[in-house]
Amino acid sequence: MQYELLARPASTVARLMLQANEAFTCEVGAMISMTPGFNVETTTRNKGGGGGLIKGLKRMFAGENFFLNHFTATHPNQSLIIGPQLSGDLVYHPLRAGSLVVQGSSWLASSSGIEIDATWQGLGKALFSGERMFWVKCSGVGDVFLSSFGAIYEVDVNGDYIVDTGHIVAYEDTLQFSIRKAGKGLISSFLGGEGFVCKFQGQGKLYCQSHNPPSFGQLLGPKLRPR
Amino acid sequence: MIVFNCPACEKKYRVPDDYAGKKAKCKQCEATMEVPFPAIEAEIIEDVPVAQIASPPLPRRPVAAQFVEEEVVTARVVQAAVIERPRPQPARTTSQPQVSHEVLRGVSPNFAYEISQRPDFSLVTLRMEQGQKVYSEPSAMAAMTPTIKLKAGFKGGLGKTLGRAFGGESIIINTLEAATGPGEASFAPGIQGDVAHYSLQNNTIYLQRGAFLLHSEGVELTGKWQGAKGFFSGEGLVLLKASGTGDLFFNSYGAILAVDVADQYYVDTGYIVAFEDTLQYRVTVLPGLRAGGKVKSLFFGGEGLVCQFSGQGRVWIQTRHPRSFLSWVHPFRPTKKND
Repeated sequence: MQYELLARPASTVARLMLQANEAFTCEVGAMISMTPGFNVETTTRNKGGGGGLIKGLKRMFAGENFFLNHFTATHPNQSLIIGPQLSGDLVYHPLRAGSLVVQGSSWLASSSGIEIDATWQGLGKALFSGERMFWVKCSGVGDVFLSSFGAIYEVDVNGDYIVDTGHIVAYEDTLQFSIRKAGKGLISSFLGGEGFVCKFQGQGKLYCQSHNPPSFGQLLGPKLRPR
Repeated sequence: MIVFNCPACEKKYRVPDDYAGKKAKCKQCEATMEVPFPAIEAEIIEDVPVAQIASPPLPRRPVAAQFVEEEVVTARVVQAAVIERPRPQPARTTSQPQVSHEVLRGVSPNFAYEISQRPDFSLVTLRMEQGQKVYSEPSAMAAMTPTIKLKAGFKGGLGKTLGRAFGGESIIINTLEAATGPGEASFAPGIQGDVAHYSLQNNTIYLQRGAFLLHSEGVELTGKWQGAKGFFSGEGLVLLKASGTGDLFFNSYGAILAVDVADQYYVDTGYIVAFEDTLQYRVTVLPGLRAGGKVKSLFFGGEGLVCQFSGQGRVWIQTRHPRSFLSWVHPFRPTKKND
């Protein structure tokens, strides 16, 4: 698989070049255009493997679609253009060992060697992190594309690192995270608008996004007509 | 020999080349059809790119007085030599789309143009000589020199006006004329995104609803009924049809990727911005999901409906879809109170 990120950073799309029999699994609705030599399948499971109904339901809780679309190239040199819904950037993560934990709606696509599963982060983290209850766990060997709202940046954590809730895109599972108050006391934390933050510990890669989708939604929402 | 299908019933026709552009009645369903121009046109004269890419951006916007003295003269000199055909050569295989962040510049017999701040916040700036006119979507004008007179009004007869309305555009078209001297005007679409330029050479391109920004003299803009083909695409029933000879600018949500299609290409219906009429198109389901196959993909896969382009020509696609943004915002809307 070869790839190219086009129109960065606000309207980024990924162009994937696949050879015959290479397959990619994408978020539903991610396909923008493609050459004719693809076979497309919609399933609730990972390509050629486990999954099924329960995994589909778990993905739904993780903010992803119940279904997955698999694009398998039937001819050499096929190209596929995929993109996320919101304005923002994409990042390519080659997964070689271990696993990558991705915030619910940031997973865009991964190659067929990657197992996608929803992972439970615990009730406390779910309630206070401002994120979804389930995260998407990618494991195996292959390529993963992540999307962000706004720009995306990478942090190599060694020791402790604090990120505001809502700005996490993904992290390697060699990192542990816990929920903390942003300030010393509860009051100063909430008055400052920060509330809780996520504290990462250990060694590993962390992807953050510059903007926080719920904040944007809460700014826009009250200005719109009631539904 | 031109091979084309009836737009209404898909019946295949084969006619001699000199039928191009003429109207005919379909033998099968009696619909009026327009014979398309042959797919490969031999009018590519030189490999001169229309837009001079990678020239350094303007240090600052010139004031009208300076501009009149310097820039217009160069525009006039280049005029004769310009070959206005954006497709450099007929591609054998479907091209790889390219996006650039550079300022696009070019000169046409109608004006000199520049598209800056690409691709997210594209702005079109035109330099016009006295007497030249452009026609723009209402409220697209962002800035202009005092030499330009703006007039709002209907253009074309009632039919064309209504056609535009069906095509998702305003029925009013603003006319900007460099009335009292050479001048400069800037245009920006209402939505953030890219702007592309196309030079019509007595041919036709189709624009998606709402994609029109402005055109020069010599271009005719009408709505076109797409019949059932458009109906299933979920993007409105009517495409805008631009034909004639002149310049056309259209805009997108997100960046614009231009793809030169050689054989076949699939684009999700919501991401099409424009396409040349040398391409045949039909709304279909993705390969592998065809009838008799897995029908659930069409309904649950989210991207069941795509537009299949075939033949030779260029299609412009946008990298974001306004509808996905709207559906993302929807849950944040306040709920109605029951009192």
